[in-house]
Amino acid sequence: MNGQILREDYKLALTDICEKCEVPESKVIAYIEEGVVEVQGNEVKLWRFTEASIVRIRQANRLEQDLRLNPAGAALALELMSQIEDLKNELKRFQPT
Amino acid sequence: MEYRDYYEILDVEKSATQDEIKRAFRKLARKFHPDLNKDEDAEAKFKEISEANEVLSDPEKRAAYDQLGQAYRPGQDFQPPPDWDAGFEFSDGPASENAQGQDFSDFFETLFGEAYQQKRAADAKARFHAKGQDHHAKVLIDLEDTFHGTKRTIVLKVPEVTEDGHLVVKDRKLEVSIPKGVQEGQHIRLKGQGAPGRGDGTAGDLYIEIVNKAHPIYRAGGSDLYLDLPVTPWEAALGRKVKVPTPGGIVDLNIPAGSQQGRKLRLKGRGLPAKPPGDLYVSLRIALPPADSAKAKKVYEAMAELDFNPREHLMRDIKHGDQVRAKS
Repeated sequence: MNGQILREDYKLALTDICEKCEVPESKVIAYIEEGVVEVQGNEVKLWRFTEASIVRIRQANRLEQDLRLNPAGAALALELMSQIEDLKNELKRFQPT
Repeated sequence: MEYRDYYEILDVEKSATQDEIKRAFRKLARKFHPDLNKDEDAEAKFKEISEANEVLSDPEKRAAYDQLGQAYRPGQDFQPPPDWDAGFEFSDGPASENAQGQDFSDFFETLFGEAYQQKRAADAKARFHAKGQDHHAKVLIDLEDTFHGTKRTIVLKVPEVTEDGHLVVKDRKLEVSIPKGVQEGQHIRLKGQGAPGRGDGTAGDLYIEIVNKAHPIYRAGGSDLYLDLPVTPWEAALGRKVKVPTPGGIVDLNIPAGSQQGRKLRLKGRGLPAKPPGDLYVSLRIALPPADSAKAKKVYEAMAELDFNPREHLMRDIKHGDQVRAKS
């Protein structure tokens, strides 16, 4: 079975990303404001998202629901997670293999 | 079927108040949420505590469970007595938000599952169309796999509602092609391989997260690779051409004269395949030969004649008081 790698170029419109993440537009806008995902384009109609954003939005949304967070809290959790991942990778350098 | 001690899972006393149970669950949920905890067993643990919370946070279910559980120890073989739930009334409310769409243990399904099963069967029959849930999986790949691509077999646990409304969990095996050039943290989407939709709804998608297995010599960061390269003091000081392993084969690398510990050298395009290909960063690690022979000792003693004090800068700005203390 062949899958496709989620692309990192800006191709998806707001309606596409809402459908793929099963969230309302207001949620995506909140995530943009909190910096969970980045968007290209100056006005809403021209907004374009990457496919990789699908995973970020769904993660943030799961965190919100499962841990009763708001978008700012979910964004903070994801930011801290990525910092921890970076530190763990850095730490691997000092661990004997 | 094994008996599950939900109190032990949430680490609360049997006499805990509903508030204490809520707090214990929330704390553990934050700790083991699979989006926050990358340990392999985090997801299983999160399901377990969600299941425990589903029962203990509901006073009706908790009362029924308490009555049942007096004679059992965790892990003990368990069969529910007939009519065990007689005398308890379960509200027909929806499952709590954390429980939606989760597949709980056989133990849970046997005790509390019937109401859900009937509800799910009714949902399935209702003229209601909804897209199926998306599923998530992780695959571990070797760094070498990113050069040629690979295949991995993924086993998914899929809950299915049978025609007569019973819930069964089936294993579904999928052989997935991992395309070459894939990087850690990227996701692969398999369209339509998530949960089936309801009514005319389309099936959900399956998202596969790529995780690199630890490699014995390289570390990956995006498409770049990092390698610690041991060199001798004379190679670092005088400069020398040395052989360096890269994923694409062994190459010659010029160590510039006067290199210090930790110097980073870049081999352009020798990292992982990508557009453009990643680079290989080589960090020099100066390895000292042991002074365990007369010859080695002689060389070190010859070096001692050099006018070299690596601690000079430590002494330069020292305070007077520190000097006095150091002397005494």
